[in-house]
Amino acid sequence: MSSADAEPPLVIRARGLRKHYGDFHAVKGIDLEVRPGECFGLLGPNGAGKSTTMRMLAGTSQRTAGELTILGIDPEEDGPAVRAHLGVVPQQDTLDEELTARENILIYGRYFGLPYSYLRPKADELLAFAQLTEKADAKVTDLSGGMKRRLVIARALVNEPALFLLDEPTTGLDPQARHTLWDRLYRLKERGTTLLLTTHYMDEAEQLCDRLVVVDGGEIMASGTPAELIREHASREVLEARFGADRNEAAARAVQAHAGEGVVHRVEVLPDRVLIYAAHADDLHGVVQRLVDDGAVPAPVTTLTRRASLEDVFLILTGRTLVD
Amino acid sequence: MAATTTPPPAASGGAPAPLRPPHTPAESAERVKRRGALYVAEHQLRNMRRYGSVLIVGALGEPVLYLLAMGLGMAQLFGGGMPQEALGGVSYVAFLAPALLASGALMTAAVEFSYPVMGGFQWHRTYYAAQATPLSPAQIALGHLGAVSLRFVFQALVFFLVMLAFGVVHSPWGWVQILTATLGGLAVGAPIMAFAASLKEDRGQFATLQRLVIMPLFLFSATFYPLEALPVWLRWIGWISPQWHAAQLGRVLSYGMAEPAWLTVLHLVVLLVLAVGGAWLAARIYTRRLGWRPGTPDRDALARPRADRASRLGRRAEVSVSDGSGTASSSVVREHAAGVPPMPEITLRRGPLAGLYSGNVRAVMERAFLSLRSNNWVVFASGFVEPVLYLASMGIGLGALVGYVPGPDGTPVPYGMYIAPALLAVSAMNGAIYDSTWNVFFKLRYAKTYQTMLATRLGPLDVALGEIAMALLRGLIYAVGFLVVMTLGGLVTSWTAVLMVPGALLVALAFASLGMAVTSFLKTFQHMDWIQIVLMPMFLFSATFFPLSVYPQPLQWVIQVFPLWHAVELMRALAVGALSWGTAGHALYFVVMSAVGVWLTARRLRALFLR
Repeated sequence: MSSADAEPPLVIRARGLRKHYGDFHAVKGIDLEVRPGECFGLLGPNGAGKSTTMRMLAGTSQRTAGELTILGIDPEEDGPAVRAHLGVVPQQDTLDEELTARENILIYGRYFGLPYSYLRPKADELLAFAQLTEKADAKVTDLSGGMKRRLVIARALVNEPALFLLDEPTTGLDPQARHTLWDRLYRLKERGTTLLLTTHYMDEAEQLCDRLVVVDGGEIMASGTPAELIREHASREVLEARFGADRNEAAARAVQAHAGEGVVHRVEVLPDRVLIYAAHADDLHGVVQRLVDDGAVPAPVTTLTRRASLEDVFLILTGRTLVD
Repeated sequence: MAATTTPPPAASGGAPAPLRPPHTPAESAERVKRRGALYVAEHQLRNMRRYGSVLIVGALGEPVLYLLAMGLGMAQLFGGGMPQEALGGVSYVAFLAPALLASGALMTAAVEFSYPVMGGFQWHRTYYAAQATPLSPAQIALGHLGAVSLRFVFQALVFFLVMLAFGVVHSPWGWVQILTATLGGLAVGAPIMAFAASLKEDRGQFATLQRLVIMPLFLFSATFYPLEALPVWLRWIGWISPQWHAAQLGRVLSYGMAEPAWLTVLHLVVLLVLAVGGAWLAARIYTRRLGWRPGTPDRDALARPRADRASRLGRRAEVSVSDGSGTASSSVVREHAAGVPPMPEITLRRGPLAGLYSGNVRAVMERAFLSLRSNNWVVFASGFVEPVLYLASMGIGLGALVGYVPGPDGTPVPYGMYIAPALLAVSAMNGAIYDSTWNVFFKLRYAKTYQTMLATRLGPLDVALGEIAMALLRGLIYAVGFLVVMTLGGLVTSWTAVLMVPGALLVALAFASLGMAVTSFLKTFQHMDWIQIVLMPMFLFSATFFPLSVYPQPLQWVIQVFPLWHAVELMRALAVGALSWGTAGHALYFVVMSAVGVWLTARRLRALFLR
């Protein structure tokens, strides 16, 4: 699409970004435009090419083809200059287990050439920000998974980055720890930090991202704001029906075959349930009931109606589908 | 601003504005371009400080012990073989000290440039944290080299001070050997670093490297005797060994050893070439793994696809599964299980120790065999080589200087025949201790092997018995192998030598069971170094390389308390068939020690495995 309205210079500008590993094409031509101060999401299933893209953005992986500038600089030409602006939270924690939480931040700051006169107070500030003040002198091995993750994030903030890259920041955390992290990321956004995060949690993307792209198989499947995506790719409401593990597929086919009439927009079958999309889910109850009465489908074990979410967009774009 | 040094904890939303870095990103990048390697070195040194006490005790204790044991004890045996002039007219301590100083750097290099490098790439992945900053990959490599060089300097300095205390430095230029030893360390370390950086997976390469490269370099490089004491066909190891070049330089500097000037220059050139070449190669490999050279095409695109990518490609099937509920997943299992016979009932063992022992030691051993087959067989095989190398180096080289020593029954025996049974005892001890401490601790803390085992029907006693059984099996194979080498070398004179095999097993059982009990008290890997510090004096003083009679009587009593002396005496008696009640006493020592070890391990099982 166009960026006609975007006056300020772009933080990230990528055109036709590609990454090949021999015959395997991890990223197959991705375009991105991220504006200052926004939170941009990169969504996709495992292996979609999210992390590879992230590493190319940080200038730690070489791109096979395409154009890329971060804050106007090509990371491939001057990686250090780009990374001086960046905060990077990798998918796997890369903490030094032999050092304390505080020392991890200090040493990381030294890697940016920052003096201790700044780093000592800054480390305290960041530890407080990450709610790790009491654990400041604890060894990394004694921290819980959530604490380690918060420490990695605090550490990446030591250089006050203009662009913050987070690769699956909350994978493996409990709901409590996730909400704490989201809160910290909100605060960064309020301060004007540009965020780019990858995730395969739809609620996370809905909570945090101003705009996002859905990536699958190394390509962008869709892009827009969360609301736009839902409007564009899913209907307003969904009926979830469970017919039993062995019967879902047949039931979905039956619903598809017998209930045209413009009520049913789309039918999606998952291993454990069938998703039926429509403008009004109430209408669907009647449709299903009719089919059950006709003997076309067995009576569903459970049914549930809800609003369509980003998760539905994701399933439609990357999952199996019966309707074109 | 200055007043608000203690901001209210966390919750306050509108807290003071965050601290801003004192320089801009551009300045930051510029600074790092100039001094990046120093920042990496700083990181490494901070890590070393954490086990500083071990470093200091090791740096100080090792030279003192070696000089006391080898320098003073060994020297009393000389005279039977080559004349004293072979040492160039200086005392044995003066001859030995510069070489030991150099070998300290060699040993440190083998440790500091192997696992820490692999850890930076594979385990802690700390290099990837550094990669995300303005640092360049070459700076990361050079920083690591720089920090370890400082450790070499520190170690050599301490050793040099000990040498001064022993009064074995005759030249005013003696202090320069601190620098040549550091260079020697880098000549070995930088190539090892390049090798370690090129590895994607630990399949025991470092253990193999230690045994097949570092050990021979240490043993055949004129450390304990002049190179001339070896037959010509073994001297080439010394000529290509950085350890020999560093040791010879040390001798020239320490007491002005007579040597042609061109040879001294050659020593220096060899060390410089190896150090600089290794560093260049390491920087290249770091750059390849953590980055690339600007202006080059993407090399990943050219590389052939790796096998581990297959699983990524096969992900399609699992994509649509969002949150599989219990019913769904169990039905999938049922679907696939059509051709599978019904599962036999899992029987539970009752009776005593039911909570600790399930009677399935076999499964633990099966896993060990599988891992042996796929990974560690080279390590396994190289373990056999170690005592053989010691025997060859000491028996041939030192033997040439020593000649004959009084054997267990008083009659003089050749030096090789004297030390061979002792080496078997040492190898039984080392193998058992390695298996029961390092290996167990690694599987406990890092590989989490036991965590998996104990999540099944297996109990901690199954695991302990399985591990001890594997240690004994390994010990059995090594002992038989070593006995064959001894027999071929004409170093056994009695049929009772066959009893050395069960003897070695008894020694191994005692050390393995006690070692496992000790492991239950360990918290970090640094504690492992303390074990090493306790073992070293035992290895050096327990009449392994020279008879106990070289020591004053009170020291003899102390040595006789420790187990290794009993093991050495037991083996020695069996090798030549000089059996006595004393021999039975030594064996009894290990029966008691095994009993105590097994009892203690059983008591500490919960502390060991269920922590």
